[in-house]
Amino acid sequence: MHETSIAASILETAQGLIREQGEGRLESVKVAVGELSAVEPDLLVFAWEALISGTSTPDAALEIEWSPAQTYCPTCNRNLDRARGSWLRLCSKCGDPVVTKGGDELDIVQISFIQEDSNQP
Amino acid sequence: MTEPTKIDVKRRILESNELAAAKLRQGFSATGTLVVNLISSPGSGKTTLLESTIGRLSGLKVAVLEGDIATERDADRIRKLGVPARQILTGGSCHLDARQIQREIVEEGFANADILFIENVGNLICPTAYDLGEDFKIALLSVSEGDDKPFKYPGIFSKAAVTIITKIDLLDYVDFDLEAVEDQIRSLNQRSVILKTSARAGTHLDEWCAFLRSTLEKKRGGAGPLP
Repeated sequence: MHETSIAASILETAQGLIREQGEGRLESVKVAVGELSAVEPDLLVFAWEALISGTSTPDAALEIEWSPAQTYCPTCNRNLDRARGSWLRLCSKCGDPVVTKGGDELDIVQISFIQEDSNQP
Repeated sequence: MTEPTKIDVKRRILESNELAAAKLRQGFSATGTLVVNLISSPGSGKTTLLESTIGRLSGLKVAVLEGDIATERDADRIRKLGVPARQILTGGSCHLDARQIQREIVEEGFANADILFIENVGNLICPTAYDLGEDFKIALLSVSEGDDKPFKYPGIFSKAAVTIITKIDLLDYVDFDLEAVEDQIRSLNQRSVILKTSARAGTHLDEWCAFLRSTLEKKRGGAGPLP
């Protein structure tokens, strides 16, 4: 249950990104969470809601893009289909061992905020 | 009402941890310290393995950082062997992070050790996400935990360069298909080094220590990827 630390890192980073642009109120953050990142999306949203409710932007939303890991056959140079949560060991076509690719994403991909700049029309 | 501004970014959520880890790695590279991050479920025998390892690494300066939710027990066990050990108490947090390691290694004997063992909090999930500046992660799996664990926890077994199957003296008493486990691990990580030990019976501990010594030499010789 390290989703609370992950939520805190997301908020810290998002606030930093807004500061780089001037003043603003955070509206939403979109993050990519990989299947192998050891982060559970539901728990992350739960942790985010608990955290954000105590800030000046209690309605700021967290959106999660789920990124599954891919099973890849180096011999055939192709990605293999697999059921969620299952781990094939051998390529269904050539029988060689497969490797996993991706799924370790844990990235902020977009932030949305309302600018509080008095120079705005 | 002002329209929201949207900015597309590509920023690692754990960027600050990763920066701290990179700094640690740089320091360990300068001192030629081999750093391993031990990750497993509670009770798989991390501390016991370290206890039986330390005596077999004579001639090397060894230091240990112990991560736990509560108690100094693990660090006390290691200190009894005359090796510098620090307990990091996470107070409920399920993993160690790079900044905690930065705070501890300023103590005498840690930053310039030959081998620094970091024993993470007992947990197969959360520690996987946090880089501690180590050379590689080692996953431990005891035979009493069941032979389906690599596929159930693919994250750690994909990332760990080494897996140690522990308590193999218990193989006769549990249903644990060693071959199936090795197949699972290799399918998640083709290059994984798999060792099978019993700290209690002393099985394959010399092999494990020889592996550590040769990996340390490899690091100092700058010879390719570790291990």
